[in-house]
Amino acid sequence: MSNTTQVGETASLACTINGAAFAVEVDPRRTLSDVIREDAGLTGTHLGCEHGVCGACTILVDGEPARSCLMLGVQANGHDITTIEGLANGDELHPIQQAMHESHGFQCAFCSPGFLMSTVALLAENPSPTRAEIREELSGNICRCTGYESIIKGVETAVELLAGNEPEQTGQTGQTGQTGQESAQ
Amino acid sequence: MKNPPFVYHQAHSLSEAIELLATYGEDGKVLAGGQSLLPTMALRLGPPEHVIDISAVPDLDTIGLDADGGVSLGALVRHAEAERSDDVRRLAPLISEAMPHVGHRAIRTRGTVVGSIAHADPAAEMPAVCLATGATMIAASSQGERTIPAAEFFDGYLTTALRPDELLTHVKFPAWSAQSGGAVVEVSRRHGDYALAGLACRVDLSGDAVTDAALAFFGVDSTPVRVPEAEAALVGKPPTAEAFAEAASIVSTTLTPTADIHGSTNYRRHLAGVLTTRGLKTAASRIGVSA
Amino acid sequence: MTSTDHTQTSGLGFVGQSVKRVEDDRLLRGHGSYVADVTPEGVLHAHFVRSTVAHANIARIDVAAARRAPGVVKVITGAEMKELTNPFPPFMMLPNMYTPLYWALSDDKVRLVGDPVAIIVAESRYLAEDAAQLVEIDYEPLTPVASISDAFNSSKDQLWEKADGNVLFDNTDTFGDIDSVFADADRIVTERFSCQRQSNQPMETRGTVVEVDPESQHLTITNATQSSHALRWIIAALTGKQSTATSLKSFVTNKERRTNLLAGLKAFVDEHSEDLAKADNAGAVSQFKKDKSFPLHLNRISANLAGKTDYPTVVAQDIGGGFGAKGSIAREDIAVAVAAIELGRSVKWIEDRVENLIDGGQAREEDLTVSIALDNDGTFRGLKVDLIMDQGAYPGFPIGAAFITQVMKVMYPGSYKWDAFQVTTKVVCTNKGKYIAYRGPWANETWVRERIIDIAARALRMSPTDLRLKNMIGEADMPTEMITGPTLDVTMSTRKCLERLVYEMDVPAFEAKRAAAAEEGRVLGLGFACFHEAAPGPPNYMDAINPGSGAASDEKARTVVQADGSVKIYTPQMPHGQSHETTYAQIAADELGVNIDDIELIWGNTDKTNFSAIGTGGSRGGPIGGGSVKYGTRELRKLIAAKAADMLEASVDDIEITGGNIHVAGVPSRGLSFAEVAQAKVGESAPGATEAFEATVNYRGKGDGGWSCAAHACVVEVDLDTGLVSIPRYVVVEDCGPIINPAIVDGQVRGGVAQGIGAVLYEGLSYDADANIQTTTYMDYLVPTAMEIPEIDIVHLETLSPGENDFRGVGEGGMIGAPAALTNAIEDALASRGARVTKQYLPPTTILEMAGVIDPDPNSDR
Ligand SMILES: Cc1cc2nc3c(=O)[nH]c(=O)nc-3n(C[C@H](O)[C@H](O)[C@H](O)COP(=O)(O)OP(=O)(O)OC[C@H]3O[C@@H](n4cnc5c(N)ncnc54)[C@H](O)[C@@H]3O)c2cc1C
Ligand code: FES
Ligand code: FES
Repeated sequence: MSNTTQVGETASLACTINGAAFAVEVDPRRTLSDVIREDAGLTGTHLGCEHGVCGACTILVDGEPARSCLMLGVQANGHDITTIEGLANGDELHPIQQAMHESHGFQCAFCSPGFLMSTVALLAENPSPTRAEIREELSGNICRCTGYESIIKGVETAVELLAGNEPEQTGQTGQTGQTGQESAQ
Repeated sequence: MKNPPFVYHQAHSLSEAIELLATYGEDGKVLAGGQSLLPTMALRLGPPEHVIDISAVPDLDTIGLDADGGVSLGALVRHAEAERSDDVRRLAPLISEAMPHVGHRAIRTRGTVVGSIAHADPAAEMPAVCLATGATMIAASSQGERTIPAAEFFDGYLTTALRPDELLTHVKFPAWSAQSGGAVVEVSRRHGDYALAGLACRVDLSGDAVTDAALAFFGVDSTPVRVPEAEAALVGKPPTAEAFAEAASIVSTTLTPTADIHGSTNYRRHLAGVLTTRGLKTAASRIGVSA
Repeated sequence: MTSTDHTQTSGLGFVGQSVKRVEDDRLLRGHGSYVADVTPEGVLHAHFVRSTVAHANIARIDVAAARRAPGVVKVITGAEMKELTNPFPPFMMLPNMYTPLYWALSDDKVRLVGDPVAIIVAESRYLAEDAAQLVEIDYEPLTPVASISDAFNSSKDQLWEKADGNVLFDNTDTFGDIDSVFADADRIVTERFSCQRQSNQPMETRGTVVEVDPESQHLTITNATQSSHALRWIIAALTGKQSTATSLKSFVTNKERRTNLLAGLKAFVDEHSEDLAKADNAGAVSQFKKDKSFPLHLNRISANLAGKTDYPTVVAQDIGGGFGAKGSIAREDIAVAVAAIELGRSVKWIEDRVENLIDGGQAREEDLTVSIALDNDGTFRGLKVDLIMDQGAYPGFPIGAAFITQVMKVMYPGSYKWDAFQVTTKVVCTNKGKYIAYRGPWANETWVRERIIDIAARALRMSPTDLRLKNMIGEADMPTEMITGPTLDVTMSTRKCLERLVYEMDVPAFEAKRAAAAEEGRVLGLGFACFHEAAPGPPNYMDAINPGSGAASDEKARTVVQADGSVKIYTPQMPHGQSHETTYAQIAADELGVNIDDIELIWGNTDKTNFSAIGTGGSRGGPIGGGSVKYGTRELRKLIAAKAADMLEASVDDIEITGGNIHVAGVPSRGLSFAEVAQAKVGESAPGATEAFEATVNYRGKGDGGWSCAAHACVVEVDLDTGLVSIPRYVVVEDCGPIINPAIVDGQVRGGVAQGIGAVLYEGLSYDADANIQTTTYMDYLVPTAMEIPEIDIVHLETLSPGENDFRGVGEGGMIGAPAALTNAIEDALASRGARVTKQYLPPTTILEMAGVIDPDPNSDR
């Protein structure tokens, strides 16, 4: 039997979010991003455009990256959702979060949930991407603040951390603090 | 920017989906991957009253190997699955070539190849791939199944030969010959954007002469288009730079692309010519010919 | 792995190091609190009904069906809003300028697609949007004014009845004997440039959540604002409109209120008397000539403010970028506040991206005709600029065309010597989104100056960098003045930046590369550009823009040692990506001798922070905000040291503080902690005191300098088949004086350059001939991605002036230099094909047209 939900009625949604079971009755027209932010209260997933281009709302659905603004909440039924809140292990940041910190990855950080989730997906599939691959894979995420260099550097640092290496010194221009001096990068 | 109200139907079988379309198809839309439908709904651009979600219909997510050596993609095969599939790469290489151009990874994990064909965006890659390969559409409705050749499928801007009560269940791509070389080339403003102009092309060789050629352009008209005059000019000639240049010049004089804020008519026309040379050169190189 | 690691200890000095960001732990976990994340219990959701036509009278608006729609709680139309609010007043009035007054919603006339005509408040945003579709509006169309040339066409309808046509400002300023200089020079090179409309596009749109206290009706407003205090006072001034008589009565009868308000006003006037004395009323006279109702509204607004017994509290936590857009006070901010006041309930509005592209802030659309008079040996003699700025339908508030044209006026001459300079400035209105400040709002002065210099160099067959250096002011000339007034001291180091950049770019090596590439049919180009910017500029800079406007440029951080020894700093800055929590902690930790983690920065709450007219913007966060922290904590340290000296029975001069240990020099083992000293101090005060020491310094910069400078250069490769441009090399040599945090400076520079690259190659707001906006989604307004932005190399010079140095701002320069360097490089690449770049926006079609590869479409105006 097909399930039909009339206008004004709700449908059942049951899924896991960040490993925990989540169930709610939702108006089927509501996007998954709204359900995650409002019903599950996980506001770390951001909305930058609500039409699929900016990537800020990127989450993992069964481990694969997806735009949560381009899914209905009900379409998550039976699936396993991971959001930015699911990355850290208690006090301990996820290595990708740690790497972004080391590399001064973000400024306003509004875009960061999307970049972090895309990076998780990228490194799961390709643990040692080239710079060109990183650029290409992250091109579905827009950042207006950074010019991307620090984020790309963050991904490279994450590769090192995930491989168990100490990251290289990531202070981007070296230490130019001595007044009156000049330094090149 | 929130979705308007609609009646939501979830189909659990093909027959249910077809039944729902028979009842609501006129005022309804199929929801497959949602990567085109949901943004247009959020913008409240002519929203449907009924949304028929086919994502729970079994057996539509298969990549089938056909007896004739071709490959069939079910309505729920995601772009990402087609991109990863070795069968697709082997049997329908133009699809594999097209996939990386479709949006970005997080779009391709949800969007479906068949949905892209049903949506018929004139700047999308897959409709042109269908034209270049001579794909066949398999549509099901309460009146039964029918097949529609790609050449008769794309009617106009975002419109196809599908009736409102029909579901596009599969698209069948014919066997890819060892003598065929193909390429998908495009230019877009930013990486991952819909193309300013693009080309899905195929050249078949026998000995040192072209026996058949297909040049299917996207982003240059209200539907994907082939340019038979240019294709004809290639046939019977060896695959040389001169032959490709001649085809390119026919393409540039034949097409009259519409201008928009991203590119003028003259620009797109010029670009179609450039893509012809680039595309044919790549296609030829795939079968070991350097032009 | 630890979450955040600030194990570096003091003593080395945090300032100058790439200290890792304090704000990261919260933000990277998804625990930030942006305005959309704030959802008070029972909050209602607002949505705006917006005009679908560009220019029309409203014959009828029917909201009855919307009022009855499911979940709708309130609908307010433009006409109703007018009864409830005061209009936005003119902010900076200039002689010969008319600034139209406008209300939060439009009532009888719409002036752009997207003009808000009603606000709908409902149980959910979904329901509010449903109801909006039920509103019926009959429009009587007026002729659309879709371009600068339309604005000069007298057959087009007027946007504003009280204006003379659609030109709102026409004024000429002359410095030096321009006519004789132009008559006398060997040659004159003239070109007309045009820059397309662009948009700030922070990744977080605008938004506001207005909470109403059920008991007191007090408003608490969470808003994505760069300027919390300005927002607070404007909301207070424009909402809760009462008659002037009622206001005055309330003012007279409420003694406490009156005393406080007058005292506050007097303190402000006393503190800024010198600035205020310079202001004249010529602009107000011009305004009055056009609009006799304006004093009436001004009186009402002032009386309204004076007559109130309660003012809103604005709070804000994390903000997802602004680039100037959130320094504006939106009409929607007022409308949502009014809805909440009327309902006595909390209301939330989060702008969507389409709204943001339509009227969330637009910028840069200008036509500039530039003439340079120079001698055959390359000596610059005179410069003339004729600017036409398209401010769109409604004036930006507070920063809009008025202010930005005046900054441009001051900055056109750049770092060069001139005998004379003249600028004619016209501002027109069209049926487009609001022109506001966008990162380096005056940047087109640099673009056209650096463009015309390249064109002149080509005419003289000189190297463009030689020509620049020949005419550039250097240290030997200092101190001197720009021809437009501001003083230049050694911090104006553009010359050093350019010299270094010429070395970095190795022009002969580039020419060899170019020749080799040409052999392969590849086309390369190299372009330079340089500028200096006020960051914050010398004391006479603001006066050169508009006499008296310096009154808004100071700021007060309040610095406190709490009873428990912890340090809190209250700043009126509104960080939105600039990493203030980190940089201010670096500054304060160095002054106080404590660690980064010992400092807590508090911002965004107008009840807790001192008034600032500007907040974060104008590259002021480092110099002014940072300066007030630096000198505030320096005072604070004195208080701590004095108390500790007492306790340790030592001379205050012998007190040292390292790593939070307060001790006599040489005997750190017998030191005191901040907690001990604070406890001792609090013990002397009245019981219950929570603050041990407090210091507040009002700061507006020091010395005669305060310039940040940079030279940009890039190499481009132009694909003549596709018109695509790539940037294999981009180098910035910048000088913002002493650097607080190099990684953060790099981020500011790179982010700015990325926006500048976007401006040239990707981003253009587009309107059709009927003024319908074409770029309403991110599929059409193209913000560049990681695939489009190249690696950007940065060289830092850190020029110091004598004596103690201010930090100098660095937030805007990237965006100022990039369009000029990039367009210069593209012209250089295509010069042999006769191309001249006169547009800032160069999409592939334009590139191929310039290169002569394709013809423009017939009948195309693009
Ligand atoms: C940011 C972004 C960038 C993109 N870039 C590209 C690009 O470069 N190239 C490109 O080709 N696409 C691009 N897309 C679109 C994307 O590829 C879509 O996934 C695809 O066009 C539609 O597939 P879907 O499964 O998501 O279809 P849906 O969105 O679910 O449906 C689209 C339309 O097709 C109809 N439909 C779908 N399946 C069927 C069916 N089986 N039978 C009948 N009707 C059906 C629907 O009713 C609807 O009208 C982009 C999308 C986004 C958001
Ligand atoms: S919010 Fe989903 S892609 Fe922008
Ligand atoms: S850090 Fe602000 S948008 Fe990316």
